[in-house]
Amino acid sequence: MTESLPTFVERGTTQLSQLLDKILAAARPGAVFSEPIHSGDYTIIMASEVTAAGGFGSGFGRGSGRGPHPSEVGEQGAKMDDEAGGGGLGGGGGSHGRPVAVIVIGPNGVRVRPVVDVTKIGIAAVTTWLAMFLMFRRWRRMRQQVAP
Amino acid sequence: MSWPSELIKLTTTTSQPVTIGEITLTPEAHALVVRLPFAGFVWNRPSAVLVERGGQFERLHIINLSRVAQICLIAATLLFVLLSQGQMAWRKEMSR
Repeated sequence: MTESLPTFVERGTTQLSQLLDKILAAARPGAVFSEPIHSGDYTIIMASEVTAAGGFGSGFGRGSGRGPHPSEVGEQGAKMDDEAGGGGLGGGGGSHGRPVAVIVIGPNGVRVRPVVDVTKIGIAAVTTWLAMFLMFRRWRRMRQQVAP
Repeated sequence: MSWPSELIKLTTTTSQPVTIGEITLTPEAHALVVRLPFAGFVWNRPSAVLVERGGQFERLHIINLSRVAQICLIAATLLFVLLSQGQMAWRKEMSR
């Protein structure tokens, strides 16, 4: 390795910071609205919700020790092992986009048509019904216990 | 307490206007940006479209129907749970 560990970690951190900036570029309006799509008399612009997140971390440490005995590795080897260190860096991120509405420009003017995510609503509805059912069962059981 | 504006930003941004025939559209979006030294989060959602036609402006809101439905369902669940708990507590009290 030609560069020292702190320099390596610093360089890595800078690169990961730049990568994070790229992930956070999802905040620009261009990420939300698509390019207009023309079809006959109609033009469509897709509006999507975008969520992006990322993070990274790095660390290094150093330690000193007596190292192996010179008889095992030689005078030079023992000196080299007097101080040692290690470090690492890592990160992760992701983004998610979902269409929210479609802007339709046609002969009748401009209209905003919502895009409904049936799966999302279905999951929420099932959770709601399950919670209500469990609560109702508990309430019924308690009513039976209270009743003489 | 001052708002940590550098860490959390709530911005309204407008995209490049799009002209189709005599209609000019300016898309508008709301972005929530959380920027920490080693992490970041962005939530960007479309909020409205400004329509300009013959010198007249109209603002069309973009509503996320899926989110509205989800919030309504969660609110209904919470309300049901709270009412049920209240009734159970009341019944317990009455039985004593």
